[in-house]
Amino acid sequence: MKTTSTFDSGAAELIKMKIGTLLRASRVTTFLLALAFSLDLSLVLAGPSGLADRVIEHKLANGMTVLMVERHQAPVVSINMTFGVGGVNEQVGQTGLAHLYEHMAFKGTRTVGTKNYEKEKPILDELHRVGTELEQRQREFAKRSEDMPVDANEKTAIEKLQKRFKELQDQALQYVAGNEMALLYQRHGGVGLNASTGKDLTRYVISLPSNRLPLWAAIESDRMANPVLREFYKERGVVMEERRLRNDDSANGLLFETFTSAAFRAHQYGVPTIGWESDILSLTPAATEAFFKTYYGPGRATIGIVGDIDPKQVITLIENTFGKIPAAPPPPQIVTVEPPQRGERRVEVEFDAEHSLAIGFHKPALGHPDDYVFDVIDELLTDGPTSRLYSKLVRDGRLAASVHSDASYPGVRSANLFVLSATPLAPHTTAEVEAAILAELERLKMEPVSPKELERIVNNLDADMVRALRSNSGLASQLALYQTVAGDWRYVLKSRDKIAAVSPADIQRVATQYFTKSNRTVATLIKKPAEKQLATAAPREVIR
Amino acid sequence: MKQGCVFAIALVLLFATVASAGDAALSDPRTMKFSPVEFSPPEPARLVLENGLVVYLLEDHELPLVSLSATIRTGGWLDPQDKIGLAGLTGSVMRTGGGGGLTAAQVDDELEQFAIDINMSMGRQSGASSLDVLSKDFARGLRIFAGLLRQPAFESARVELAKLQTIEGIRRRQDNPGSIVSREFVKQLYGPEHPTARESTIESVKGITRDDLIAFHQRTVYPNGIILGVTGDFKTEEMLALLRATFGDWKKGEVPELKIADAPETAGRSIVRFVNKETSQTHLRVGHLSIKEQDPDYVPLAIANDILGGSSFRSRLFNDVRTKRGLAYSVGSRLNVGVHDQGVWLMRAETKLPSTQEVISRFVVNMERMRTELVTDEELAEAKEAYVNSFVFSFASPSAIVGRFIELEYDGLPKDFLQQLRARVIALTKEDILAAAKKHFHSDRLTIVAVGPGEALPKLLSGFGDVKEIKLAPEG
Repeated sequence: MKTTSTFDSGAAELIKMKIGTLLRASRVTTFLLALAFSLDLSLVLAGPSGLADRVIEHKLANGMTVLMVERHQAPVVSINMTFGVGGVNEQVGQTGLAHLYEHMAFKGTRTVGTKNYEKEKPILDELHRVGTELEQRQREFAKRSEDMPVDANEKTAIEKLQKRFKELQDQALQYVAGNEMALLYQRHGGVGLNASTGKDLTRYVISLPSNRLPLWAAIESDRMANPVLREFYKERGVVMEERRLRNDDSANGLLFETFTSAAFRAHQYGVPTIGWESDILSLTPAATEAFFKTYYGPGRATIGIVGDIDPKQVITLIENTFGKIPAAPPPPQIVTVEPPQRGERRVEVEFDAEHSLAIGFHKPALGHPDDYVFDVIDELLTDGPTSRLYSKLVRDGRLAASVHSDASYPGVRSANLFVLSATPLAPHTTAEVEAAILAELERLKMEPVSPKELERIVNNLDADMVRALRSNSGLASQLALYQTVAGDWRYVLKSRDKIAAVSPADIQRVATQYFTKSNRTVATLIKKPAEKQLATAAPREVIR
Repeated sequence: MKQGCVFAIALVLLFATVASAGDAALSDPRTMKFSPVEFSPPEPARLVLENGLVVYLLEDHELPLVSLSATIRTGGWLDPQDKIGLAGLTGSVMRTGGGGGLTAAQVDDELEQFAIDINMSMGRQSGASSLDVLSKDFARGLRIFAGLLRQPAFESARVELAKLQTIEGIRRRQDNPGSIVSREFVKQLYGPEHPTARESTIESVKGITRDDLIAFHQRTVYPNGIILGVTGDFKTEEMLALLRATFGDWKKGEVPELKIADAPETAGRSIVRFVNKETSQTHLRVGHLSIKEQDPDYVPLAIANDILGGSSFRSRLFNDVRTKRGLAYSVGSRLNVGVHDQGVWLMRAETKLPSTQEVISRFVVNMERMRTELVTDEELAEAKEAYVNSFVFSFASPSAIVGRFIELEYDGLPKDFLQQLRARVIALTKEDILAAAKKHFHSDRLTIVAVGPGEALPKLLSGFGDVKEIKLAPEG
């Protein structure tokens, strides 16, 4: 699953490699996760003191779901608040809106983030009106100027608006208590404050000393009820920089953006979560506020809370805060279904980087019986040094430097893609690597997978599930995730058994049905060395 | 790893049971108060085997898992100048090349079958190996782990594969502007030959043989240079017996003493370097060499850096460059220090080409403000509270606790180093911070490195010092 965050906490560069950097090869599958029942692991997960019994569930009258697990190792707690909203809920021309709202959610409320809301509000209202009109007229003006002489009156009018816009922006700034929400969390010892937006979900996370939960409840119930969009235009600029960093200047970002938009013609999964540049630059405060009102009702929220807590007290706390927020009507349904692909699609993208490759096949969403089979195929192909593609392409064939797969890209709730990606090892080409990958997929159709390979997959899933319980934040994340995408956190328990039940014949059938040429999209990154030309950066960024 | 920010390692022990929910919930989050609570993290047992192997043990029976880590007195600082990359290859092929009587294929097979994770790597100043396994399979995992650590086989085919993968990594080094700017910046500060900055090349890696790997392992990996940490579901006495049986007969050796020479003094003026790459953003690093972790000014400088740009949302650079001006997604400063080599202090951002000058100017202005004005009472209070209240996260799990002890021992720092830092943070004054900033932030000798479009950058950068282009070797 692809996500985009509020704050780039991963930007730390390792200037010096020192002790303590025990890098663990992360398993490629992020979305597959199953709980264990085998051997003594069953006690950990489903036994009398296992996860199944340790999760305490509470549903509020307004529809919000709370999932709690007590862990008293240290006086800390991790909270994951997940909303069932994301890029899929955006309209044409407004791509990037879900993610922009997530950024705006850090700007505060009518109390937090402001020095005087009563005085601030009318300025913000006018600023947003003027900004919206200014941008419309600037776009119109730019379009007309292309084939007509410049209209001097219109030019003057725009300049006037621009001046007013700047004045209002400066006035508004006087009332801003900058980043106050984040500051409150940090002062109280909060760590890991962040949020992320994906195609299906938007998530807000924090870890705190456990006696600070009332602070969290006060801040979060306030932002669920009373967010204020301040510093809107600046934050839109920040999001544009995020887009440049992640997609425009990143070989992998650009490859996957191009790949995904080629694979989907109708469904919103084809649109980058961060949005297209021209859309981001045209998003308005009014659209952003409307998006919040439509999609951020308490019924869309699941909160995972894991750590040093007393669940009864937490329920009281949450009822007294979030419980006061009225229920919201259900948002509009997503009706678009990606039509069957009728022929291979091939795209290239040119960038100043070495070659790489992505191959995708359409497949069903989470919950479909075939989805579990893809989870197994995913592990079989690329998980670990004995996996089929790693051993064939990397270890023995030396065609590729690396190979990865993802069973549910770019989201899980709607029909999605099984994706394989690889970087060729020079002097081998993407064409050679592609041929070798496709040959392995053919082998899945022809030969039954050995019982030993399947046993290994289940062993690893079981162990990984136990490992996932080690971290408060990891467990809070898993619970909230599956509650939101599958409607029940117990999906993790059930899916493990479904995965363990996948047979060699299932794999052959699914490979034959889905790994076809006509269902395939292939994207390659072609190296294009830097040209001596001035970059035309941000021509449309009219407001600063 | 100690990332200079005190905050990465910070904490203290303020806690209570969940506060009474009712009243607090209704109050304003800006005025909420919470009682501090003492939290005494469990202390691991420390033992030294006869051969010098140091062992930290901390039981934790919540889950049926055991984790073991080995921190090894070796690393890339020992690479011969014509074989840079040797330590890195040795570390990676220790894991992949078989050992302890098992072939590489047998090791891979066994680890996968029993879902055992083993990782081995060597960084610039240390080696790191780890084992993570279900407790029922611990003895099996330890046997394989010890075989790889003590008697790696370095199978030829795996050595060749690792070399090819390393070379492919070198070929792809210039693909990512963020990677380019980080590496070139460090090379500018320390000089390209310095152990902290130098990089392998296709030639240096090609010249490394299997015999070199065997010799490097033999020369540097000894029990008296290793600190083991074990946490998880075991009984201490049984674990100790098992570790003695596994490592007790391993002979001591002469462990290299970790010593890194200081980089030569720089010119004493600001220099500006750029790398031409067709990007939409300018990727920026601005800074200079700095103090070591044991320096008496470390605490005030770390807090100065925290207020300037080290604390994300709370910092001045974040508020100025990102929040108020909307010029960057990722912006801030870092003080990266260790005890063995000079630290680095830097400011960083990526911004669209036309705002390059504005961002560098804001860097300089904010840095100057730190050097010339006292921080506000609010800023100091916020920094202290954030440090003290988040201190508990440094001890939030048994593996975090053991990891701290190992890090400190490896660096020769006292085991209550963090508690000492915390006490010093609490006692800090605004004057201490100003004095440290004045002494250790040098606006007259900044190194500025920018990656972006080469046609436009020289003009944009010309106001900040003498501009020269860094021509990258076409690695491919």
